Amino acid sequence: MKRLLWLSVLLVFGMGVLVGCKKATPAPTEAPKEQPTEAPQAKEIVLTIGFTESKTGRLNVSSGRQAKGLRLWIKHINEAGGIKLSDGTVVKFQEASYDDESSKDRVQELYTKLITEDNADFLISPYSSGLTAAAAVIAEQYEKVMITTGAASDSIYKQGYMYVFQIYTPASRYLTGAIDMLKETDPNLKKVAFVYEQAKFSTAVVEAAKAYAEEQGYEVVLFEGYPSDTTDFGPFINKIVESGAEAVLGGGHFQDGSTFARQLYEKQAPVKAVVLLVAPPEPDFAELGEAAFGIIGPSQWEPQVQYTPDGAKELGIDWYGPSNEEFIKAYEAEYNEEPSYHSAGGYAAGIILEYAIKKADSVDPQKVKEALEATDVLTFFGRIKFDTSEEAHGLQIGHEMVYIQWQKDDQGNLVKQVVWPKEGATAELIYPLPR
Amino acid sequence: MKRSLWTLILPVLVVLAVGLYPLLTQQDVHRETSFTLLRAVALAASLNIILGFTGYVSFGHVVFYGLGGYVAFYLVAQKGWPFWSAVLMGGLAAALLAFLIGAGILRLRGAYFALVTIGVNEAMKAFIYNFQPFGGPVGLTMNFAVYRAYGGPRAVLWMTYHWLFIVTLIVVVVSYWIRASKFGLGLLSIREDEDAAEVMGVRTSWFKTWAFTLSAFFPGLVGAIFFFRNASIEPHDAFPLHVSIESIVMVMLGGQGTVIGPILGGIGYQWMRVFLLTNRLLKNIQLAVAGALLLIIVLFIPAGLVGWLRRRLPATRRVLL
Repeated sequence: MKRLLWLSVLLVFGMGVLVGCKKATPAPTEAPKEQPTEAPQAKEIVLTIGFTESKTGRLNVSSGRQAKGLRLWIKHINEAGGIKLSDGTVVKFQEASYDDESSKDRVQELYTKLITEDNADFLISPYSSGLTAAAAVIAEQYEKVMITTGAASDSIYKQGYMYVFQIYTPASRYLTGAIDMLKETDPNLKKVAFVYEQAKFSTAVVEAAKAYAEEQGYEVVLFEGYPSDTTDFGPFINKIVESGAEAVLGGGHFQDGSTFARQLYEKQAPVKAVVLLVAPPEPDFAELGEAAFGIIGPSQWEPQVQYTPDGAKELGIDWYGPSNEEFIKAYEAEYNEEPSYHSAGGYAAGIILEYAIKKADSVDPQKVKEALEATDVLTFFGRIKFDTSEEAHGLQIGHEMVYIQWQKDDQGNLVKQVVWPKEGATAELIYPLPR
Repeated sequence: MKRSLWTLILPVLVVLAVGLYPLLTQQDVHRETSFTLLRAVALAASLNIILGFTGYVSFGHVVFYGLGGYVAFYLVAQKGWPFWSAVLMGGLAAALLAFLIGAGILRLRGAYFALVTIGVNEAMKAFIYNFQPFGGPVGLTMNFAVYRAYGGPRAVLWMTYHWLFIVTLIVVVVSYWIRASKFGLGLLSIREDEDAAEVMGVRTSWFKTWAFTLSAFFPGLVGAIFFFRNASIEPHDAFPLHVSIESIVMVMLGGQGTVIGPILGGIGYQWMRVFLLTNRLLKNIQLAVAGALLLIIVLFIPAGLVGWLRRRLPATRRVLL
């Protein structure tokens, strides 16, 4: 009997392993597609892009989209024949990646492995600022260039790191555009309230936004954090009403942000504008129905944004990479889903690396680093330019947030419209909220 | 039965083997692998003092890890303390917390104690979220200048490795000392029957409090070392409940209440996780395979590896403790 039990357990386990092998083989992370081959006229080299992806754990959705964007770029650049350097060398790419389980525990171990065993030539950051901070120490140890995407916190770039380059608009500028927008739309608006999730990212965002709002002459009548798992926003909404706030800014992540928006609507809080982090740009936000109408949210990128070669010309900088439509079409064809800003960020990280290698006309890390420092370019994702001062080396200073608002189309369906900055707007801001 | 000296030599040898390997090869990747292994061993062996020897299941082991990490990080990054003194303070802060709360919560037994330790974890997390000197929800970040003072990131990664190696060795020796001492005997009697121990003259509350304090000191040191080399700390990373649970699993796998058990459990468990995570074939289903393996082990050797060996091979009883 006991032997039978053993046997059956072993069998089940063996089957599991077999199924796993079968599943794992076609995965895009497996053996390099392109082997370094000597073409008669051109030398071809294959660079390894190393990164970790949160395949499991709380960050897996956003991190997965980021990795999808990056993989799409690797596919595109290889299909396009790689990067051709002036000495005739053709540079192609392959990936090396591991699951970091959304936890800091093994990030440093995995990045060391990527560099020393998988011989990664360039690194892309994990998703989230915390994991990126841990990976940055390793990148610095080996003096490897690491492009960070999905890591908005400012603090990482203010610690004196020299090889870390940020693609996202930093947290400190997430809501400042919204304050500019409100100021231009309604110069009489004076009282604002900040109600935000007590988490690293959202706290960093609102602290910077509060300072900016005060600088702009606003009166911050309420500044209050709520725990991440809050489901009843009643007490906070009462405080907002009591404080006489005319605009509410804050939120944190999807769950709390959408609940907050719904309860603001249910209680008919008499505010003129509501700006929330993270939740509004997600397509699922529309499920709130009427409560979603008029809500504004900052986003790193939206399918509707229009950055064009003409725009680059106006700014007097280079244009590089595919157009927005080309990216969206290719992404949808590859993955059968709409790209989010995480996907676009992953793709943009690849594009920027490609641009820097081209500019450097070399794959030498030091030369690529110098090219990144000199980068000022417009892509489908927006403008990319890095701070090169010693205090904030690698911090993103070119990219701007866009602000979306849920509005209604002719049929009365909820649609996302870009309302700020004005150059890229697809619709007028609806203001004040019709309540 | 006279206890052989091998009961001390064997565990120390295992830790030496894991710890010295990267020092001999001087390979960074070996250093990182051994760092994870030693960290697991130190956490499991220190948890074993309260869980294995005393019989109190604590889900709050990570509180001491996080608190030690925070205190040391704050002292190094914000106050400019030397690393060694900050690490020591991290350990002492964790031990002090355990001493203070231990007197209260160690009166509870079984499931009630386990539940309260989860509560302590959540309470500490909530406190840190609202404690501004520690950065509140944003946490703290290390300035690179601090690393430069120690010779740059490479030197820091090696230095923290040496520290962890030494701490792990100390945990193992202390663990052996407890198990072999009269103090340890008192703890074992509490584990078997607390009321009977009390009647026999064991000062149970005093014994338990010191066991809890000692078991908290070491994760405090480990947390301090870990977060220093991570260059940032935030509440979410500092108090992950899963680290507590994994520590319990490692102790159980190796054999609770033994000296060498948590060491083998820690190494075995972490080695398996790293292997599955980085194996080309299995990395996409690593969690499922890990779960299946754990299930099989728990089903067939519930007493842990050391318990199983001692039962199956009586000759090993003299050398495995």
